[in-house]
Amino acid sequence: MDWYPLFNSLRIAAISGLIVFFTGIFAAYYVAKLPRLLKGVLDVVLTLPLVLPPTVIGFFLILMLGPNHPVGSWFLSVFNIRLVMTWYSGIFAAVVVSFPLMYRTARGAFESFDETLAFSGQTLGLPNTYIFWRIRMPVCRQGILAGAVLAFARALGEYGATSMIAGYIPGRTATISTTVYQLWRTDNETLAFQWVLVNLVISAIVLLAVNMLEKKKTERWSIR
Amino acid sequence: MKKIISLLSAIIMMAACLTACGSSSNASAMTSVTTSEPVELVVFAAASMTETLTEIGSMYTAVHPEVSLIFNFDSSGTLKTQIQEGAVCDLFISAGQKQMNELDITADAAVNTEGLNFVLEGSRINLLENKIVLVVPEANPADINRFDDMAAGLEAGSILMAIGNSDVPVGQYTQKILTFYSLDEAVLAAAGVLSYGTNVKEVTTQVSEGTVDCGVVYATDAFSAGLTVVEEATTDMCGKAIYPAALMNTTAHTNEAQAFLNFLQTSEAMAIFEKVGFQAAP
Repeated sequence: MDWYPLFNSLRIAAISGLIVFFTGIFAAYYVAKLPRLLKGVLDVVLTLPLVLPPTVIGFFLILMLGPNHPVGSWFLSVFNIRLVMTWYSGIFAAVVVSFPLMYRTARGAFESFDETLAFSGQTLGLPNTYIFWRIRMPVCRQGILAGAVLAFARALGEYGATSMIAGYIPGRTATISTTVYQLWRTDNETLAFQWVLVNLVISAIVLLAVNMLEKKKTERWSIR
Repeated sequence: MKKIISLLSAIIMMAACLTACGSSSNASAMTSVTTSEPVELVVFAAASMTETLTEIGSMYTAVHPEVSLIFNFDSSGTLKTQIQEGAVCDLFISAGQKQMNELDITADAAVNTEGLNFVLEGSRINLLENKIVLVVPEANPADINRFDDMAAGLEAGSILMAIGNSDVPVGQYTQKILTFYSLDEAVLAAAGVLSYGTNVKEVTTQVSEGTVDCGVVYATDAFSAGLTVVEEATTDMCGKAIYPAALMNTTAHTNEAQAFLNFLQTSEAMAIFEKVGFQAAP
């Protein structure tokens, strides 16, 4: 069995998960500090991919990154890099669809953060970056972790936008989701089912790992 | 307050369900086939016929207002699977004999391996002929001008070609062309030079968007999408692309479906087909 789709899916999910983790947290942190009107507008724009169908997102991505369109043709002419129909095109799609998940969850976590902790840190003369990474983040750990898991899972299971922008090139851009679809379409149901099982196993492992991490933390912090 | 709201929504949902059930049972009671009763014909047709059939359909309903046509355009392989899984279909027009044979009980058992019987006996005809062509994006970045260039580029691994997958008739014709050039599809796929589309329109879009260096589609799709055709495949390369059409034996509107199929063979309809590059089947 050709294991490339597994490798490719995990690679795309991991990279987009990492990108989304940092961008989502920073967006959540800075948007909360903006004036009300700007905050409202940005909030809608950043959460939009969550409610848009993946095919709509794929369409917009092609409209921007395709070789006949502004960003895509610029990259082609300046760097000779093609942005679509490659394995990293899947990253664009995965980042766009999983960003709102990280952003909203992080926003929720930050909003339930007790600001007096941050204030106490400031009275003690701690720099803001220290307060952010060493006080705010650990306290909001549960929410951030949940967001990261959701984003990773969403990136792993992304199909619509990925199939439009990366297509299906066996050994190059095939992900688990596009492979299952192509195998089903070409009457290769046993192989498709095998991939479904692989996906189930991976998803189960990810969720199990997260559950175990969460348990450890609550046990450590509970007052006995 | 909550109780009132939940009670109201329950009542509304029940009412909606009952109306839906009611209307569907009414529809099944109307099995009469007189032409004055409004009839809904469901036509499954190959994606390559999208533009032409839509136009012909409007022409037909203008003359027969009691008939409303519902088209489902997709790869013939997908349509065959949908019919097999019980989708409502009165008329099926496939882009390849294989898909029609798979539904035809009178066809060779080697092709109709599942013994499906959906084709209405005596209604099957060969409707159209199409040509297979090699198309390139506007600027032709990989400078492909003949099928020979395509074969050379694939072997060298220097180009990316969009082809339909093995479930799509145009993909099956492309496989024949690859065999004609003694290229092994599995080897090419492993080399990452083939981009698979699930129907001919996906292949067409990939070429017109310039995301691949070339693609093999029907002459009609190339015409409709305004693509640059560099060469037409000969009969030695991939045989003839014949489109069979047949009524499905599950149809509730045999007369209307037959009337539409007959209309498709008239000179008016053929004129529209020929405008984009189809020919009447020999």
